[in-house]
Amino acid sequence: MKKRISLIVLATTMMVSVLSACGGKDGSTGTASQESGGTNQKTLRFATWDTGDALKIEQDIAKKFESDHPGTKVQVEAYADGFDQKLAAGFGAANPPDVMYMWDFPTYHQSLEPLDSFADKDKDLNIDDFYKGLFNYGKIDGKLYGIPAGFTTRVVYYNKKLFDAAGIPYPKDGWTWSEFQEISQKLTDKSKKQYGFGARAENDTYDLQGFVWSNGSSFISPDGKTIEGYMNSKETAESIQMFGDMVKNGSAVLTGGKGQQSGDDIFKAGKIAMWESGIWPLESFKQAGIDVGTVEIPAFTGKPVKGVLAESALSIAKDSKQKDLAWEFVKYYVSNESIKMRVADLPVRQSVVNELKKDQDPLYKPYYTMLERSDNTPAFLLNPKWNEVNRQLSAAVEAVMHGGNAQEVLNQAVKDSERYLK
Amino acid sequence: MNIHWLYRRIWSGSYRSIRTKLLFCFLIVTLIPLLSLGAVSYYQSARIINSQFGKYGENAVAQLEQQTSSSLSRMKQLSETIYSYLLDPARTDLGNRAPVSYNEIIEKNDFEALLKSLRTDKTAGIYIITPSGYYYGENNLDVTKLGSIPAWKEKPSSYQGIYWLGFYMQNHAMTSAGDPNLPVLGLAVPIHNSNGAQDGSTILIEENAQELLHMFRLFEKDTKAHLTIKAADGRIVYQSASAFTPKDSDMIWDRTLAVSQWTLEARLPAKAFYLSSGIIRSNTIVVAVISCLLAFGLAYIFSSRFTDRIRSLKDSMQKVSFGKLDTRMPIEGRDELGSLDMSFNRMVSGVQTLVQEVEQSERLKKEAELKAFHYQINPHLLFNTLNSIQWKARLEGAEDIRQMLYHLTMVLEGNLDISQELITLGRELRMIEHFLKIQEIRYGDVFRYELHCEEALKRYLIPRMTLQPLFENIFFHGFTDGIGLIELGVREEKEELLLTLKDNGAGISAEKLERLFIPGPKRRGRGGLGVQNADQKFKLHFGPEFGLTVHSTKGEGTTIIIRWPKREERSDGYSKED
Repeated sequence: MKKRISLIVLATTMMVSVLSACGGKDGSTGTASQESGGTNQKTLRFATWDTGDALKIEQDIAKKFESDHPGTKVQVEAYADGFDQKLAAGFGAANPPDVMYMWDFPTYHQSLEPLDSFADKDKDLNIDDFYKGLFNYGKIDGKLYGIPAGFTTRVVYYNKKLFDAAGIPYPKDGWTWSEFQEISQKLTDKSKKQYGFGARAENDTYDLQGFVWSNGSSFISPDGKTIEGYMNSKETAESIQMFGDMVKNGSAVLTGGKGQQSGDDIFKAGKIAMWESGIWPLESFKQAGIDVGTVEIPAFTGKPVKGVLAESALSIAKDSKQKDLAWEFVKYYVSNESIKMRVADLPVRQSVVNELKKDQDPLYKPYYTMLERSDNTPAFLLNPKWNEVNRQLSAAVEAVMHGGNAQEVLNQAVKDSERYLK
Repeated sequence: MNIHWLYRRIWSGSYRSIRTKLLFCFLIVTLIPLLSLGAVSYYQSARIINSQFGKYGENAVAQLEQQTSSSLSRMKQLSETIYSYLLDPARTDLGNRAPVSYNEIIEKNDFEALLKSLRTDKTAGIYIITPSGYYYGENNLDVTKLGSIPAWKEKPSSYQGIYWLGFYMQNHAMTSAGDPNLPVLGLAVPIHNSNGAQDGSTILIEENAQELLHMFRLFEKDTKAHLTIKAADGRIVYQSASAFTPKDSDMIWDRTLAVSQWTLEARLPAKAFYLSSGIIRSNTIVVAVISCLLAFGLAYIFSSRFTDRIRSLKDSMQKVSFGKLDTRMPIEGRDELGSLDMSFNRMVSGVQTLVQEVEQSERLKKEAELKAFHYQINPHLLFNTLNSIQWKARLEGAEDIRQMLYHLTMVLEGNLDISQELITLGRELRMIEHFLKIQEIRYGDVFRYELHCEEALKRYLIPRMTLQPLFENIFFHGFTDGIGLIELGVREEKEELLLTLKDNGAGISAEKLERLFIPGPKRRGRGGLGVQNADQKFKLHFGPEFGLTVHSTKGEGTTIIIRWPKREERSDGYSKED
């Protein structure tokens, strides 16, 4: 009996100590590690500069690709503003994304995989369906580095309501810059803080090339070696001075500079009647309730209108470990199916355009007519040092917008840029 | 008063019972190790947990400090880089107004390219705001909205050095586009450069604070602590959202950020800090209470089993004491209590037989007393009558009859005096003389009687009326008409006496001799009754090893030998001599 009692005592005391030991553990439990991914799963990295709705569409495309290719995960890396920085870092570390959006082929083509062999072998791509001019941008030294994914040309948007209010007929294709300036003057009402046109305080010189070309000039000689007499030619200066003058005489307002709203926002607010841009803001204009119309870029009297093409392409990194899979993704990205999903870009395939009858829609037609006019080669494709030159050119253009004399500052810019071309 | 009452309660009957003692004993034996173990394990684990939690909190705060510090140092470094760039005399074209000339724009673009290159993932904004309202940096700043930064306005205009704006929402963007509610950490550095164009401008650096605030919130959630960050001037930079009243008892982890001289203080109410050890304590107490109850229950059951048996034994004893001698204990188990029960049963049955014997002997004694009383009445009548006869015989001159009556009276006197069981040998011999005198008168002087007994032996004791029946046997069975020789010898043999009674009478047949000592109701005739009685008397008085032996040969006589220990009359008058 005594033995039994002492056993019970022992058992209970052990129970107490065990229980308190258990209690002691409570505090220290916590962090559970998460191991991700199976070993069989392949991950394809895709870098994009898009954000917002455009990014969401791209993620949806990636998901569709994943469901069509079991065992593959597409990691969409949205670099946004830091795109160039991050891409350069990725290439530098030999750890770039497999597939990426690309436009600046002269800078990056050495890190990219030539795609000619893929494109030639793969009949599924149906290369003839693409708009011909688009391939020029992705070619360096005759080698293809990017498959066109989307593009836009530039048009003039106009606010139909403001035109109606002023009793001015809507502009038509084939109009001239003098008509443009006239209309702009008429639609300016400073008491309402309303302007005929919005001029960018800080222009991307790339976008200005269309105007320069339309005036029969260019920033650089066709062989890419000379800027003297091109960048500072009378025609070039004239086409840029035109906007400076409009700001000066008050028929245009400066946009997008320090303390200034962006042109898109002002147009959305109905405070500028005309706005020149690519297709990007069209959806937002519609959403803002603006009755918007599009028209071709005006012409310099007696000269043919020229357009400039902003193209985005998909490229495959040279360091990618899974180029075949990357190619599959690129191919899928430019397939009819995914082109239809991407509404922020203009379709690169003629078949899609025909199917959707985009070229017959008056709102979209100008983009395609402008595409036909975009057969000049942009400066950055002609000279690999263009980025250096561009700094001076940008400053000169900005100075013009702030009241500078275009011819003088362009001369200065040419003078300062010459050393980069030697 | 109370203590006295308690004392009395404890020592009053119910608390003094064996059960209570056993219960106390068990409880003490159980509870002391139990409670001490429980207490030790509680204190130890509580101490470990408290110190671990304390260290954890300290580490967590240190981590917060480190993360915040790294953000702050990065921003400070950034501001220093920009500051030194601006102090460079070559940057004179960087004016404090909107640049319009080509050269100014080139400078601005270069500077902004630098600012852009200085940006990291976490940078939310880098701006140099000139007094004119113009600023350098990304074109998304609305200078008029800078007032929405709480600390921006509070900043003294002539402030020297770096000024930490703390955490705030970055909602000074030009448009509503983007995230209007991005929490940022801000740093403002007023530029003092009396010769330069940028004198009076302010460098504003903002870093995304989402991660940092997320960490703070995680820390708060994790530790339930209240976090406060104060600037050196006492301004509260950050404070946990939860309501909190600081107390002196709070557990405090604090750190000072070297970069900004901010003090980071995490306060945890003592109650929350000791929560986990409190849980251990309550667990321990619950288990201890359960174990106590268990121990109490077990002790109660055990002690009641134990004391119930004792109690039933006690009850049985009480019954026995009330005279119920047929009470018996059931034997449960073979332990000490079982054997106690067994002994009790044995004892009670012993007592029972004893009582029965005593009852029997008491009854016999009463009967004997009654008989004796009865006898005592008769002798008086007998003696009186005999004396009357004797007197009458003397008057009649019948001397023989008078003689016979005298001797008979003497014999009867010895025979009927039952007050003494042991008498001296001399007295017994004298009574035999009287008996023989009667026989002599009856038969005439035809027999011879020889007595060999030393005078010294006559003082030893012999049971009363032992010899007379033997003599009677001789006369009635041994001799014919009283003719014969009787020899009586007494001698001592060490501590014993040896009496030999020898006659030359008819003797006893062997068959008869055999039956002589067998008691039984079927005996016939008188012969032998005296022998057996005498033998019984000796055995009764002196022990079974003493008594008579009879040797006899048919036709030649009989010898009876009696052996008994020497015993003298005691002075207390156990047996008296006349």
